[in-house]
Amino acid sequence: MAQKHVLVTMNHAPYGSIYYTEGLRAVVGVTSGIDEHTVDVLYLGDGAYYALKGVDRRDSLKYLGTLEKLGARLKVERESLQRLQLSESELAEDIEVISRDQALDLIRRADVTIDF
Amino acid sequence: MGNLYLVDRPFGANGLALAVRDGDAIVALIQDGVYLDTAELQKAGRRVYAIQRDVERRGYGPRLAEGVKQIGFEELVDLIVANKVVNFA
Repeated sequence: MAQKHVLVTMNHAPYGSIYYTEGLRAVVGVTSGIDEHTVDVLYLGDGAYYALKGVDRRDSLKYLGTLEKLGARLKVERESLQRLQLSESELAEDIEVISRDQALDLIRRADVTIDF
Repeated sequence: MGNLYLVDRPFGANGLALAVRDGDAIVALIQDGVYLDTAELQKAGRRVYAIQRDVERRGYGPRLAEGVKQIGFEELVDLIVANKVVNFA
């Protein structure tokens, strides 16, 4: 199997389920192994709540540390923020805000998408 | 090759919002995804399919929007093989 580019979308709000942290664990898994797959992480819909700077990240910190070393940035869709009435000033510094058009570009570039 | 959005209800709004803007989008509604409002998709000219078994089990056939084509699993597999899957299921 050759190297692939994988888009992982995170659609669940943090807490109340394990999706938000299991998704990040899967992202790390995707990047592991001999094929060295590359990955984008995109927060959509209620998943955008994870982008808030006050979110307790203790249970996902080790995954985020690995992703940072790999140079994979977390992205959140601006339209999702707007729907949730979240302002960009409320977001953690390591989150990159992108437009829906840019989100579509991520889909086009991806060989595979996985949702959590 | 198009982008086949496989859409169930929990993430449905997220997937459909992208599919409306994606000129290469084909949408397949599965499970509770058959309840989703597809008006914007159809207005945008996207092809929309619903899994017939999921529609029938829910008794939703009479309420399914006109223009949404019901398909079986064989046709769904053909779509999956022929397109890039964008999963929101």
